[in-house]
Amino acid sequence: MPATAVATPGNGHNKGIFHNTTGFSTLITVTVLSLAWLAGFASRLFAVIRFESIIHEFDPWFNYRSTAYMVQHGFYNFLNWFDERAWYPLGRIVGGTVYPGLMLTSGTIHWILHALNIPIHIRDICVFLAPVFSGLTAIATYLLTSELWSRGAGLFAACFIAIVPGYSSRSVAGSYDNEGIAIFALQFTYYLWLKSVKSGSVFWSICTALSYFYMVSAWGGYVFIINLIPLHVFVLLIMGRFSQRLFVSYTVFYIVGLLLSMQIPFVGFQPIRTSEHMAASGVFALLMAIGALKYLHSLNPKGQWKQLLIVGGLLAAAAVFIAVVLLTYMGVIAPWSGRFYSLWDTAYAKIHIPIIASVSEHQPTTWSSFFFDLHVLVCTFPVGLWYCIKNVNDERVFVALYALSAVYFAGVMVRLMLTLTPVVCVLSGIAFSILLDLVLREDEIPAPSVETEESKNLYDKAGKVKKRTHEAAPAADAGLGMNVRSGTLIAFMILLMLFSVHCTWATSNAYSSPSIVLASYGNDGSRRILDDFREAYGWLSQNTADDARIMSWWDYGYQIAGMGNRTTLVDNNTWNNSHIALVGKAMASNESAAYEIMTMLDVDYVLVIFGGAIGYSGDDINKFIWMVRIAEGEHPKDIHEADYFTERGEYRVDSEASKTMLNCLMYKLSYYRYDSGGSPPGYDRTRGALPGNRGFKLTYLEEAYTTEHWLVRIYRVKKPDEFNRPRLPLAKRSISTASTMSKKLPVENGQVTSKRRKGLLKNKPTVVKGKKVRLE
Amino acid sequence: MNFKALLCLFVLLTFYQGEAQTRAKGLDEKLQQLTDMTAKKSIIPLNLNKFKEYVKSPPRDYSFIVMFTAMAPARRCAICQHVYDEYMIVANSFRFSQAYNNKLFFGMVDFDEGSDVFQMLRLNTAPVIMHFPAKGKPKPADSMDFERAGIHAEAIAKWIQDRTDVQIRVFRPPNYSGAVAFTMLFILVAGFLYLRRNNLEFLYNKQMWAVCAVFFCFAMVSGQMWNQIRGPPFFHRTKNGPVYINGGSHGQFVLESYIVAILNGAVVVGMILMIEAAGGVKNSDPARTQAEGKRRRFQSVVGLVLVCVFFSLLLSVFRAKTQGYPYSFLFK
Repeated sequence: MPATAVATPGNGHNKGIFHNTTGFSTLITVTVLSLAWLAGFASRLFAVIRFESIIHEFDPWFNYRSTAYMVQHGFYNFLNWFDERAWYPLGRIVGGTVYPGLMLTSGTIHWILHALNIPIHIRDICVFLAPVFSGLTAIATYLLTSELWSRGAGLFAACFIAIVPGYSSRSVAGSYDNEGIAIFALQFTYYLWLKSVKSGSVFWSICTALSYFYMVSAWGGYVFIINLIPLHVFVLLIMGRFSQRLFVSYTVFYIVGLLLSMQIPFVGFQPIRTSEHMAASGVFALLMAIGALKYLHSLNPKGQWKQLLIVGGLLAAAAVFIAVVLLTYMGVIAPWSGRFYSLWDTAYAKIHIPIIASVSEHQPTTWSSFFFDLHVLVCTFPVGLWYCIKNVNDERVFVALYALSAVYFAGVMVRLMLTLTPVVCVLSGIAFSILLDLVLREDEIPAPSVETEESKNLYDKAGKVKKRTHEAAPAADAGLGMNVRSGTLIAFMILLMLFSVHCTWATSNAYSSPSIVLASYGNDGSRRILDDFREAYGWLSQNTADDARIMSWWDYGYQIAGMGNRTTLVDNNTWNNSHIALVGKAMASNESAAYEIMTMLDVDYVLVIFGGAIGYSGDDINKFIWMVRIAEGEHPKDIHEADYFTERGEYRVDSEASKTMLNCLMYKLSYYRYDSGGSPPGYDRTRGALPGNRGFKLTYLEEAYTTEHWLVRIYRVKKPDEFNRPRLPLAKRSISTASTMSKKLPVENGQVTSKRRKGLLKNKPTVVKGKKVRLE
Repeated sequence: MNFKALLCLFVLLTFYQGEAQTRAKGLDEKLQQLTDMTAKKSIIPLNLNKFKEYVKSPPRDYSFIVMFTAMAPARRCAICQHVYDEYMIVANSFRFSQAYNNKLFFGMVDFDEGSDVFQMLRLNTAPVIMHFPAKGKPKPADSMDFERAGIHAEAIAKWIQDRTDVQIRVFRPPNYSGAVAFTMLFILVAGFLYLRRNNLEFLYNKQMWAVCAVFFCFAMVSGQMWNQIRGPPFFHRTKNGPVYINGGSHGQFVLESYIVAILNGAVVVGMILMIEAAGGVKNSDPARTQAEGKRRRFQSVVGLVLVCVFFSLLLSVFRAKTQGYPYSFLFK
């Protein structure tokens, strides 16, 4: 990977030496881009090399499952697919609740390859889709940056985005998720948008709308585009940069984009019914009004028209704003949804939507995760921003707005680091390009007049060269000098090297774990693979009835459906909060109350993740408090969060823990029969405590399967006849015939009565007492 | 004998009846008085007598929520005022809500007016919110735990719902301060622009906009948003002296984020210095004398040193926070 980082600055060098012909620069561009593609692809393969070609984490399993379904049954069946294996007993209409772009993309690739008689399994396409698309993202970033600044900057940006951890975090091999292809669509849409604003041609606007359509089909983050582009237009209007080009490109893009985006079933009528999309239509109306006023102005360019233009524009803006507000109040337009609202009011989600707040990627971002994801780019991209604003034009307004909005969103939510990363790469590419360009360019002072025309096209600094032809003599001394220049070069080479090793390190260590296969390393560096998840899901698929219902926390829903092929109650598509709360309530109640809920929901098996034996911290006991919170939100009568804490408000599992905690279903299922974990046996290594409630029996459930490292524990829910019936010892199970009855009747009778008396005393002591009293 | 017994029974019965009557009357009277008082003021101020009469003495079929507080400025209880405000919101929401009934009343005991009540209940802290249920004595859970639940009106209402099954929808009087501040700002800016309407060049000053944008980036990238949401301490005091850098990568201190912002800023300034020294983007450098060249070389070296040194510092801080991070530059 250092190769790519070095290759880019080398680009400038070569140009000086080989007199900068167009063909040569194209060759360099193609070489660097393909190297970037290769480096980006290679650096995302850690997981495949270390483990195997496997789908990662949670959401990718659903995407893979539905892709496989689509490949098998065809696109239209996929669109109409009612998945009865999810959200039992509700089911899920998959076609109408997914962004189908991802499945379509890999399905198309599969179809093409099979048409060419290349028999590749759909799983391998899914695994390698994101790394392949990272190369396309690099190219799109190159194009975008070239539109903004220069081709050199574009090459820098392409190399940066190919390996930057902020992007590879979502696009390693096996991470088959929407973001993997969406960032490409995002960058490409922005490139086409800039192209259309520059040229004002309908062709480019239509292209923008098509690319936007692809983005809408791929990822919910399309809302970012449909707000950023209108913001760009709006700011340009305020800056007085209205032009016919802007008018044409935005109106065409808006109308075509709107119509296309409504073709996606999951999006439907949202673009005209929700507040998130209203900025776009508001700006459209405003642009129309200003266009009309401009036309009037052009009819009679003298007199009061200019003031009319300003006043009319302000009035139109106010009217549009009031119309949107009124429509929202009347309920025609849905207000901001919680997910978007929580971006502005940062305390909102924490109070009102625990299910959003519970996801770790929805937390705010610390500086160290900015640095981790962007490294040297984090302190160089403001330089690019600085020069973009100082040398502003229509396109650079766009990139400045892009940077400012994305950096805000990334600050609010770790997950949105993904939208910040591309613009940081673009701006850092510009910054590095400016500096290295200047430093390297002065090499050419002795032979200034040779390269003029080509460099004018490639770099917007041709004036400098011309000047130097006149005053070549003093320039030799007035320049930076060889020492400073080479010092700068060496320092920046070191920075770029550090960047590339950091990226490799971060991708390898932080982002390449499939999370369904765990690895632990011994002291001697030996590696042990913990394959408990697949072991458990494999057990489910082999040993349970085909229609068995598995209850687990929603995190594991997609994996159970994808790998175990069994029906789940809740999964990672968290559309039904009350259903999730019901599962949370079952986990948080005691055994008998939980049994009622489980019977109600027809649960056959319960699956819990328990990391105590190996010290795996992402297990259910650690997530448990969120289950309680979500359950409390829906069932405030039955579940109280405070009951699960100790008197002093601590969350513990040892003997100091609260009684409710020690007796809830989740606790019992986690620690039932648990005797591993080193000394003393039964020690919980994740929480560093000895569980407070041990050696208990389960009445309503029985252990069905526990994986090798206790990581996944599966329990079977008993049928009512299994625990109501007293257990008979084997000796007494013989059917008594008439002869034996007559013989052994007295003995048997005696035993039975003695037993029965015991039972009576145990079960109904009050009744017996009452009898006794009356008798006496 | 028989007659005596009958008489006894009769006397007993009359007495009982009479007592029952006074009790019923007392309850009605009390309810009436309490309702009147609540109509005047949604939180009933209580002293020892009133407290005994309405809260402690038995004929009662209503729950009483009482806040024990010390509002006098001399007591210097800063949190009391906050809790009082939130408590007031809850009491008002209840009084003006649909669910209003005479099964639940809100009261307040100020330490300076009812210190004997504090003694009676053996309270030595304030503020405390306690629930006196209609039947039986208050349990430990009947005094609200501010530490766990917080002091927000929503939390109080939720606790009340837990204890009494009365659901109160908290209705906050709309907070106009934000709107007023916004309007003031808007008017100020508009007025400023109007006053300077003949000289609006400064709006076209790209330098100003660029500085604003870059500062915004620094603020976000150094995690100010995290500080805003999580509210970490400014820095950490330990026995061995203050700690400015949080050891873990999932936390940070306010001072730490400022330090990081400054380090970032220094790198950016260094890089801009280098670019300007090398001629800048527009390359508008007409005269190039020898002295100029010297100055440029110097500026370039300064910029380079800034970039390298401060980036290394940043890397070192990051390395200290991230376990097992192998790379460093210039400094360990």
